[in-house]
Amino acid sequence: MKQAIQERFLISPFLVFFVIHATQVGVGALNFQRPLMKEAGQDAWMAVLMAGLAAHVLIWLMYRLLSHSPSGGDLVSLHEQYFGRWIGGVLSFGLLLYYALAALTVLQAYIEIIKVWVFPLIGAWQFSLMFLLLTYYAVLGGFRVVAGLCVWGVVIPLATIFPMLFFPLEYAQYRNFLPMFDHSFGQLIKAAKHMALQYLGFEMLLMYYPFLKQAPSSQKWAHAANAFTIFIYLVVIFISIVFYNKEQVAHMTWPTLTLAKIPEVPFIERMEYIVISIYVLVVFPIITVSVWAATRVIKQLFAVQQRRSLPVLLACLFVGTLFFQEKTDIERLTEWTAKAGFYLVAVYVPLLYVYVWTAEKVKKALQQKP
Amino acid sequence: MRRGLLWVGALLLLGGCASSRPIDEIQIIQQMGYDFENGRYTGTAVYPTFKQGPMTKPNMLTTTSPTIYDLIPRLSSKSALPVEEGQLRLILFGKEFARRGVTQITHSLARNNKVGSHLLLGVAEGRAKELLNITANTTLSDTLYLPNLVEQNEQSMNLPKTNLHLFLYRYFSPGSDPFLPYFEKKGDFVKLEGVALFRDDRYVGHVSLRDSFLMKILLGETKNGVYQLKVGNRGKQGEDRVMLQNLWAKPKYEWKRNGSRHVLDVFVHIHASVRDYPSWLDQSDQDLFADVKKKMQNELEHNMRRLFRYFQKKRIDPLGIGDFVRSVTRHWDSDAFYREYPDLDIRPHVTVDIVHTGIGE
Repeated sequence: MKQAIQERFLISPFLVFFVIHATQVGVGALNFQRPLMKEAGQDAWMAVLMAGLAAHVLIWLMYRLLSHSPSGGDLVSLHEQYFGRWIGGVLSFGLLLYYALAALTVLQAYIEIIKVWVFPLIGAWQFSLMFLLLTYYAVLGGFRVVAGLCVWGVVIPLATIFPMLFFPLEYAQYRNFLPMFDHSFGQLIKAAKHMALQYLGFEMLLMYYPFLKQAPSSQKWAHAANAFTIFIYLVVIFISIVFYNKEQVAHMTWPTLTLAKIPEVPFIERMEYIVISIYVLVVFPIITVSVWAATRVIKQLFAVQQRRSLPVLLACLFVGTLFFQEKTDIERLTEWTAKAGFYLVAVYVPLLYVYVWTAEKVKKALQQKP
Repeated sequence: MRRGLLWVGALLLLGGCASSRPIDEIQIIQQMGYDFENGRYTGTAVYPTFKQGPMTKPNMLTTTSPTIYDLIPRLSSKSALPVEEGQLRLILFGKEFARRGVTQITHSLARNNKVGSHLLLGVAEGRAKELLNITANTTLSDTLYLPNLVEQNEQSMNLPKTNLHLFLYRYFSPGSDPFLPYFEKKGDFVKLEGVALFRDDRYVGHVSLRDSFLMKILLGETKNGVYQLKVGNRGKQGEDRVMLQNLWAKPKYEWKRNGSRHVLDVFVHIHASVRDYPSWLDQSDQDLFADVKKKMQNELEHNMRRLFRYFQKKRIDPLGIGDFVRSVTRHWDSDAFYREYPDLDIRPHVTVDIVHTGIGE
């Protein structure tokens, strides 16, 4: 049904590293310590590690699944092939909703930070309008532009925000790590489940997989990206454990931003504002990738050009940001999205893989019979 | 043409978002004092007024209110310019205020995104307003007299490090209690007198600047501080004292069970230089010198024991002993620990190494 995508629209395999890493680390990195340290205290870093390893397995599974798909290579064509036009269509529509929801959540969470920290009087619509116009511009450029954005969304924050994380070590209490293994396995699993949400983002791979040159060879880069994400989260949680205690973290909404209050240079006294500004570059790639993925689903599903569906989707997102003004609503939205993402990646994809695998086996057996 | 229009549109959009606050159109509060008197709270704000060039003159605003939270809004009603708290450097609590608990202020500070984590806190003997008044009057151009005083003493003298972050850290930690610098009025001057101690958020007492040297070492801050010790009995003032300067010190805690009771051994190793010593003490006389060293260690141990007993009697834990015990105990129970705490056997063991005695003998 669909022909292969022209080579000039593809990206090199190693760029997957940036796309996956950029979509994984998002606003969650600013406050993931809270639920984690509440469950597992000083052992929270183990949960970070466990969830990261689980993400490795899921990435491996996704590659196995997608390499099965013969024609289009993405999840939509896979749905169509195995479930037919109608059931497959419904499933793909669910995927579309999830991508849109993911974009909305990230945008909403970032707007909340802007409102609380920098411009208390700003209306949500002002910021989201500017941001979505920018998204329109970027997504219109196609997947290659989106991937390019991801590169900068990794490199610039890494060069600017990451070094700032180490200043709070001035106040480090290394004894906070002890005693190790003071929490039960159940607690660790619970914490790891919270943490798993922070690794979400690689599920966009289900849509952009056909846009990778020699897609199977990009798998090592995808794993490298996930490993790097684990590393970043480990550094943040280590620093948070030695800098805060459990009870203190429970009283902070964004522990990572409060960490950024510590470095002080003569001409900029308050670094957290710089961090928040640079964080646009962390948030923006996530939104563009998920918006791109959503329009891609629309194109595969309804054969509507991405150029046409994009404004409609962005308008929906804009209206969406107007609905969520209160903190509790935003929290609930985040929770839903997190749950949806978790079930998509950790439950649906493995089930689908099992289904596809058995279907292939059955087909082969049937072919051999006559 | 279309591109140009886009640019203009973007400029208009972005330009509308700025909420700028030029420096000469706001009142920057740099120090704030809180008092409690006759059932009412008093807030005092010190702000600089900019004269020609680098000259600034500290000015004060005072207001009273039956509640704490509306002190700053009430200050606004006395100020021609909007009050900004983003440059707060020091908050001073009057003793009465601190006795009633400072949580309301510290919690609001913890939530306030405008103030930094380096904000200093302090307790004033008597009224904070009075102390701030003195510093505003005696210092000609320096609105930051008190913050600088604290920072200087933390960096080079006996005062252990304190700021908003550390206060909150110790306040929230189940295994420690916070402490703050303690100021007193001495004539027309403000003097740093030691360390004010808190139980949870309530002021319960203070220790002298001399004892804060021991606190600083026991807290694990490795450098700086001076301590005068008595090493002889020759009667004459100054003839039997030694001035010790800490170059590098490290405490080591050990938690042991002794029958039904617990024992905490505290090993402190001080590398010090003797800045001043009496003339009769000749360094070349090894025996005498070793004897004096022994005396120093004994006196340091004695004073540490006294300090520990004081903390235990007051049921406060500014040194974070609970925090240490938590780090070596599985499933630490803070209630059980602090029930045992007042009768805990704490044994300090001090070793002093005299690294040098200056460039002369």
